[in-house]
Amino acid sequence: MESRLLMTMQVAVAGPQRIGAVPHGTRVTAPIASGHFEGPRLRGKVLPGGGDWTLLRADGVLELDLRVTLETDDGALIHVASFGLRHGPPDVIAALARGDRVDPATYYFRTTLRFETSHPAYGFLNRLVAVSSGDRRAAGPLYTIDEIL
Amino acid sequence: MRSRPLITLRLTTAPTQHIGPGPHGTRLTFPITGGSFDGDRLRGTVLPGGDDWVIQRADGVLELDLRITLATDDGALVHMTFEGIRDDAAPGSPYFRTLPRFETADARYAFLNRLLAVGTGELGADGPVHVIEEIL
Repeated sequence: MESRLLMTMQVAVAGPQRIGAVPHGTRVTAPIASGHFEGPRLRGKVLPGGGDWTLLRADGVLELDLRVTLETDDGALIHVASFGLRHGPPDVIAALARGDRVDPATYYFRTTLRFETSHPAYGFLNRLVAVSSGDRRAAGPLYTIDEIL
Repeated sequence: MRSRPLITLRLTTAPTQHIGPGPHGTRLTFPITGGSFDGDRLRGTVLPGGDDWVIQRADGVLELDLRITLATDDGALVHMTFEGIRDDAAPGSPYFRTLPRFETADARYAFLNRLLAVGTGELGADGPVHVIEEIL
């Protein structure tokens, strides 16, 4: 499958809300306080108020359901929705939970993304799907997001 | 983005259900009557009864929402869904791309529960064909 870089996006997560054991797994909601994104065709900041709604499943896989609003440097607002899976060896996941610096190649953190905007300069985002690879840094994930061609 | 082939999925469909204009756009469904899938790690048939629930947006793009059940040749059932888009007006050729997900209880295929995938679709003579790759 062919792809090309769309952007990198770094988010900063505020204190997680640990809802706990719910029927589908363990629910932890991660509010997103800030962030920034940059790519060949667009760049700007991640607005506060989004979040990553996560569910740790019984099989050890973390499902991530992220929604944020981006604001480009020329004032366009973009709605982003991303569904992801994260899993890896127990010692690697434990290191991530401690906030250690962990090589992202040692775990699987991948998401699929959709975008919505009304700004005509960025309308191309409404007509593509994207995939990302995540690097869970201590302050929040860094996503490398590729457009699927 | 690194990927590797997962399956080629061929669907057969019954005539389109034209529900018509609604709050989100024009609602259509493409009922799935069957099909087959084939790949290095799994192969089998598509059970009848699935559907692709579609909205045609004001900009002409089709938003896809499919649910089907796959039956492997060795007796496992796999729930498969995808969201996606088909933009027939994309420059060059239609942009028909999907984001499949899978669920199964069969331990031999549990790897499907742990991956994300991307599909490239085409309207073949006998129905839609999706070449689906695992995102590595």
